[in-house]
Amino acid sequence: MEQQAVLAIGIFLIVYAFIIAEKIHRTIVAMIGGALMVIFGIVSQETAIHHIDFNTLGLLVGMMIIVNITAETGLFKFIAVWAAKKAKGRPVAIMVALILITAIGSAFLDNVTTVLLMVPVTLSITRQLRVNPTPFLITQIMASNVGGTATLIGDPPNIMIGSAVKELTFVAFINNLMPIAVIILVVFIPLFILMFRKQIKTTPELMQSIMDLDEKELLTDRKLLIKCLTVMGLTIVGFFLHQLVHLESATVALAGAFLLLLLTGEHMLEEAFAKVEWPTIFFFVGLFVLVAGLIETGVIATLAEKATNLTGGDVAATSMLILWMSAIASAFIDNIPFVATMIPMIQDMGSLGISNLEPIWWSLALGACLGGNGSLIGASANLIVAGMAAKEGYPIKFAQFLKLGFPMMLLSIVLASAYVYLRYLM
Amino acid sequence: MLEYRYDPSIIQITESVNEQDAEFRIRLLQEEPYLDRLKQIRRFFEDNDIYTDALFYVYKNHEYGAIVRKEYYVDFVLALMKHQLLQSVEWKTSPESS
Repeated sequence: MEQQAVLAIGIFLIVYAFIIAEKIHRTIVAMIGGALMVIFGIVSQETAIHHIDFNTLGLLVGMMIIVNITAETGLFKFIAVWAAKKAKGRPVAIMVALILITAIGSAFLDNVTTVLLMVPVTLSITRQLRVNPTPFLITQIMASNVGGTATLIGDPPNIMIGSAVKELTFVAFINNLMPIAVIILVVFIPLFILMFRKQIKTTPELMQSIMDLDEKELLTDRKLLIKCLTVMGLTIVGFFLHQLVHLESATVALAGAFLLLLLTGEHMLEEAFAKVEWPTIFFFVGLFVLVAGLIETGVIATLAEKATNLTGGDVAATSMLILWMSAIASAFIDNIPFVATMIPMIQDMGSLGISNLEPIWWSLALGACLGGNGSLIGASANLIVAGMAAKEGYPIKFAQFLKLGFPMMLLSIVLASAYVYLRYLM
Repeated sequence: MLEYRYDPSIIQITESVNEQDAEFRIRLLQEEPYLDRLKQIRRFFEDNDIYTDALFYVYKNHEYGAIVRKEYYVDFVLALMKHQLLQSVEWKTSPESS
């Protein structure tokens, strides 16, 4: 192996180790790793920039701006309280309603944003019912990872896969991943009810207090709400049509974001930009450059060749290998760097003779997204919820989540394996 | 112990205490300008870093509720005072501590 390749692997592994250790912020580590790839001449600056996927970044920034402005209207609180009232204040029914809202929200927004919106309103409702919020929060974590699996924009791995493979459009993601996401959710919900129904009991008086709430008062700015809903609607229509009109998903999201800023006026600009999760955006930048080092030195091509040899180039075996490997890996390491590494590897498998890559792409998406449920550190949304809950006096322990999350994750991967096999490989 | 007084012709406050919270029910008999002030208090507690310090609820009959964690009780009462929903706030020494 060439010296540059050894150096690239060394930098990559050290960065990965630091990301897993979580002693230094992952963005700092990834950006330093990316910089080292350029400083050591493994990739030139021009090549590094060429490898940064601005479609992924633009899509994330655009959606973050739209969602953050919409959150100002109180819409998400309104939906949660409205649903709680529809559930007649019954804790189990509210838990199911919040699971569904989180899953749908995570499909069309991103997971982290969805849980950031859901946790405060969940704490508010559970406080009023005087029930432990932990079952609600744990089930929402899992719902966000399942819901995020369903669409191109739902979870960062899907955004990255959709951006790298032009044939996998927004509609293709929905057609291929939404059915299995719905199946998994349908299987999960009765299990959640069985597991938690005894822990979330309340009194008829407290249930009535939910029914007495006036959810309309939560909508703080109706004019802004109309603008936000219009732009959100247009943006989602844009996602459905993006391939027909030959536009990248980032163009749709950014056009939506800046149309909304045009409608709201300049005063929202600074606040909207301030709420963009810039550390996440730069984490992606660093990772793209790190992976560029592995691609340019031929490491990824070698790995793809070895994986293809291992499965004999058989699509079914390769799909199952990718699905299970992605799930187990994503349960314990960040799925974003994992998918960033796997994408060029799968692309290389195509050039090594595997003609039908589609089931492999869906396997990667399913494994990486659903694998996030395997442990508390499996996805950013899990850590965000755990952090917010701990701050409010409801810590979710790593072992506590693992005991529940890992078997549920395995169950979802068994279902996903059957789905991939029956739909694409039979 | 913190004691407060309010003008009952403008506002009615009832308070109950459970293990971890104090629950306030606030009824504004005069909306202008007090409703805006109450909304400012709500915004202050909703926008800070702690979600459950004081949770606000709006009921159908124009009543407002707040569930306040015990450790933020003083902050909440002082916020009511700051926005002139209370007339006075005073520390009273309880008989046991004197």
